Amino acid sequence: MQITITVNGAKRELEVTPYTRLLDLLREDLGLTGVKEGCGKGECGACTVIMNGELTASCLVPAPQADQAEIVTVEGLGTKDDLHPIQESFVEAGAVQCGYCIPGMVLASKRLLDEKPKPTEKEVRYGLSGNICRCTGYAKIIDAVMLAADKLAVEGSDSND
Amino acid sequence: MMRKSPMKQENRQTISGADFKEYFQPENLQKALEIKAEYKEELKVAAGSTDLLVANYEKLHEIEYWLDLVKLDELKEIKVKDNKLHIGAMVTHLDLMDSDLIKDKLPVLAAAAEDVGSPQIRSRGTIGGNICTSSPAGDLLAPLLSYEASFKLQTEAGERIVKAEDFFTGPKRNLMEADELLTEIIIPMTENKREGAWIKVGRRKALVISTLTLAVVMEFEGEKIVKAGVAMGSVAPTPVRLKGIEAVMIDQTLKDLDYKALGKEVKSSINPIDDLRGTKEYREDVAVDVMVRALNEIERKVSS
Amino acid sequence: MTDQNKRIKDYFCKHTTRCTIEGVKKSKRFVGHDILKADAWDKVTGEAVYPDDISFDDMLHIKIKRAVHPHAILKDIDISRAKKVQGVVDIIVAEDIPDVRQFGLIIRDQPVLIAPGEKMRYMGDALAIIVAETKEAAKKARDLIQVKVEELEVITDPFRAMEADAPNIHPDGNIVITHHLNRGDVDEAFKNSAIVEENRYQTQFIDQLPMQNEAGVALYDERHGVVDIWAATQWLHDTQADVAQSLRLSKDQVRIIQPTIGGAFGKKEDVSVHIHLAIAAMRTGRPVKLCFTREESMITQSKRHPITIINKTGVDRDGYLTAWETKFVGDTGAYASSGPAVVHKGMYHATGPYNCPNLRGVSHAVYTNNTYAGAMRGFGTAQGAFAYEQQMDILAHKLNIDPAEFRLKNIYQKDSITPNGQQLTHSVNAEETIKRVMELSDWKGGRK
Repeated sequence: MQITITVNGAKRELEVTPYTRLLDLLREDLGLTGVKEGCGKGECGACTVIMNGELTASCLVPAPQADQAEIVTVEGLGTKDDLHPIQESFVEAGAVQCGYCIPGMVLASKRLLDEKPKPTEKEVRYGLSGNICRCTGYAKIIDAVMLAADKLAVEGSDSND
Repeated sequence: MMRKSPMKQENRQTISGADFKEYFQPENLQKALEIKAEYKEELKVAAGSTDLLVANYEKLHEIEYWLDLVKLDELKEIKVKDNKLHIGAMVTHLDLMDSDLIKDKLPVLAAAAEDVGSPQIRSRGTIGGNICTSSPAGDLLAPLLSYEASFKLQTEAGERIVKAEDFFTGPKRNLMEADELLTEIIIPMTENKREGAWIKVGRRKALVISTLTLAVVMEFEGEKIVKAGVAMGSVAPTPVRLKGIEAVMIDQTLKDLDYKALGKEVKSSINPIDDLRGTKEYREDVAVDVMVRALNEIERKVSS
Repeated sequence: MTDQNKRIKDYFCKHTTRCTIEGVKKSKRFVGHDILKADAWDKVTGEAVYPDDISFDDMLHIKIKRAVHPHAILKDIDISRAKKVQGVVDIIVAEDIPDVRQFGLIIRDQPVLIAPGEKMRYMGDALAIIVAETKEAAKKARDLIQVKVEELEVITDPFRAMEADAPNIHPDGNIVITHHLNRGDVDEAFKNSAIVEENRYQTQFIDQLPMQNEAGVALYDERHGVVDIWAATQWLHDTQADVAQSLRLSKDQVRIIQPTIGGAFGKKEDVSVHIHLAIAAMRTGRPVKLCFTREESMITQSKRHPITIINKTGVDRDGYLTAWETKFVGDTGAYASSGPAVVHKGMYHATGPYNCPNLRGVSHAVYTNNTYAGAMRGFGTAQGAFAYEQQMDILAHKLNIDPAEFRLKNIYQKDSITPNGQQLTHSVNAEETIKRVMELSDWKGGRK
């Protein structure tokens, strides 16, 4: 069956089956391997994408349910030469260890900071509560989100000037 | 054979074959009900899919007939009609916790929605899915019992309204017929002052299936409790309403109530089991404490 | 790649760290400075390539048929129905690979595939390798494989496994290895102790649970006779050697290429997907991919050892440890993995960071039909720590002294000697650590 989705700003028409999960569609058909499978059951957050503005576990979405959706994956944020401020903060805060949870963490941070540009630590913990890091780098990940909030605030004030 | 260098997965859209027979994604309820009438239990009904895909992990290709409700916008509304709140079955947990109407009128339900899974689950999982999965641990179920909710079950030919307390018949079982769909959750509103408390006990704060849940809702005329709803999850084969406890509360004021005694009463009126998430003994002891906590919380809210 | 080499050279780092501070560049020192991981850029953008991210155009997918019972003799395996599934390319059973040898980290006790007449020893044992054009076809075929078994007694408790009438899980018996520890005169010291405290402690299985499951891709280069395996391992050359001996290849015929690893914590010390991948690649001549599900990873791969620890500890009236007797019984599950090393390492740390002149210990690593246990952060010492710290608290309570003071009396100092005879000649800051903890926690002497 045919679906239409917008992935990282590009509109695409795709042929899918219901046993293709959004996760498989993004990884295998579109090559967006920044979306990771950690558990396949919505418990770990490695497969997180932003779907229609909300955090979504892409392993729990049958591809046909993504019809007409707007999807943002980590590939849609920044590139190595031109990092998004959140990505930059993760690098600088030393928040990255094995890295497998990081695309999900970065997207959860983005969703959080879009809504709450100046989050408290408690809000950061709540915003990232669906994402597990097994290297247990949470302290530095939270530092990274706080740092990103500062960076985005500075950028925001620049653009307002 | 030529030596190949490894490459990263590239964009290569292919069709991997079609095992499924039909994937229905109707755009109006009538059509959905017709499909349900025709295929009945052969259908797997997909709402938010957060339970469906977990239960069918690694065997999605075995599902032959799908009924996907995701395009039924008519089931995504929250509205007030005839002094009752009508919540569409496809309203998500996120919708519930963000809705001003729900936060104002049904704060216990909003609080429970906020405790479901994680942001990733709340954005997809629906109230209808939570009800139809009928897990004794379903987080929204105790609040729905406390608010005396009713469920509208529709078929192609008609509809019936079932009380939440009659709906659940066992772990993951309910009284829905094969041709029915849950379309609406109906909750009475009141002119009285209504206060409540929600407590979820689990091993973590997020992504946890409840060890025990408690929802308490009270209606006051002045200081007098004129109506009470007390319900718990994960303490019996179904979510349970504790009518014995409610009866003790009616026509009393909060001052008249012995919180600790009520807690002990709760302990003796539930029937939990030992499982991964807690022992029977633990649940019974915690039940006492959460009841006291809930009553203290209501007392604070009433006096403020 | 050249870009990255240049960057690393610029910052004088040979490994995966990169300096941020220009001053560091001149001094060529890293201690005391913030350094950034060189691969962080790849990881925050999703560009880092983990095993599951590697793909070839004509790649086949593998699923493994696993044991149907934790302890049973395989009587018959019927793959005829499974072979008919559209898209199935090959189903490999033990009789297809008669020359393949067992593998294992320390003891080569793990079969690659269970043959009829042989035993499955835990739920993770592999019975067949299914190779198909799609994951769905492989799954479907896997579920159609029919297996007949003769069930044996399932041993889940290492103490049962050590009983004389327990069936042998492996031919040489159920105790994999026993270690002893002896110093001083324990019996005499117990006699002269003011208090002797004996307790039994039990720890549980813990999965290391790295975020990424075991996964890999393999490709066979027929002309050169070389099999390339892209899969995570914590012992690159040991894995290469083990895969090579198992497949009767020379080491230069096996290349293990380490992609980015999504966490390991000990779990990826053992061979997981490697040998099955190589066999499938060599038989089909096509690139093959095998990714474990989380469930499969939990059932199949190693865990932290559950260890039963029996500690008997003596103290004198002044609160000094006099003697310590310990017994460690580690459940290493169906296969040895790192068990022979983990359990006795735990025993050698039985007294923790505390001085004790008289010691006696014994440790057994024992086979059961549980999922095998291997390496995990701490390698046996975490289990021991649970037991000795409890022991210290109980003794402090009985002596009616502050548990922190009790620890300080007995804590390792410079020149202390550990149970296995190592003299600590420098950098012993255990006392300082306890004092700092007392200070930071505003320690008030503990509860009576």
